[in-house]
Amino acid sequence: MSLTSPFQMVGDPAAACVGDVCEIPQAAAAPTAPEDTDTNPLLSEHALVIRQLDENRV
Amino acid sequence: MSTPIKVDIWSDVQCPWCYIGKRKFEDGAAQFGGEVEVEYHSFELAPDTPVDFDGSPKDFLSQRKGIAPDQVDMMLDRVTGIAKSVGLDYDYDHVHQTNTIKAHELLHFAKSKGVQLEMKEALLKAYFIDGGHVGRIEDLADLATTVGLDRDEVVAVLEAQTYLADVKADVAQAEAYGIQGVPFFVIDGKYGVSGAQEAAAFANVLEQARSERDEPAAATQDAS
Repeated sequence: MSLTSPFQMVGDPAAACVGDVCEIPQAAAAPTAPEDTDTNPLLSEHALVIRQLDENRV
Repeated sequence: MSTPIKVDIWSDVQCPWCYIGKRKFEDGAAQFGGEVEVEYHSFELAPDTPVDFDGSPKDFLSQRKGIAPDQVDMMLDRVTGIAKSVGLDYDYDHVHQTNTIKAHELLHFAKSKGVQLEMKEALLKAYFIDGGHVGRIEDLADLATTVGLDRDEVVAVLEAQTYLADVKADVAQAEAYGIQGVPFFVIDGKYGVSGAQEAAAFANVLEQARSERDEPAAATQDAS
């Protein structure tokens, strides 16, 4: 169970599903955050091109 | 007449612990004895599974989770034994591993018709006990008639994906809550219960929720 739960958890923690078939894989549960375009020169450049295209369209 | 204790349950149709947890919760709710309103919410354990997955649950778990086949056997034997202890005869030799998105859409449609609990039970029983297919529209429509839903209407809403957005909203809500495993129970919007807990745990938390509701009323009476 993630710490982000807004609920007061009750019951036996051992009964919670951990590493069993009733749990989604961690990788799927926590998708990679989108890359920050400010720190990725390739994406920043790509975003700039899109912005320019949009401006040209206007 | 008091308002029922609301219980929101995130669950997947192909989750063996969800069916066991359902039975234990029902037992706990019976021990509690008060009025309870249950609403099921969608959770997809394996949304990328093909509707017609070519293989057994054992194949699926081995391939998807990278668990050794003999270990999968042990896991399935264990869960089958626990299911038996709550009166459920899982038949893994005839389970059709599939994608459950349409089953979840059907559960939302059933909710709109006031038969969600009956539909949930029918889907779990079909999947784990009767060897039914809960991924195909035609099979789901047949199953839906057993709880009184109109077959043609079911086919129409499933083909039109009428309730797909509701399914996705449930899944997004689960993610926002940090739910990574099911079953997950939310009692009165306040308490979280993760997993197939013992019946007494459910009875206790339901009683706790009721007593907290009664406290303000008792305080008001004391003051008057």
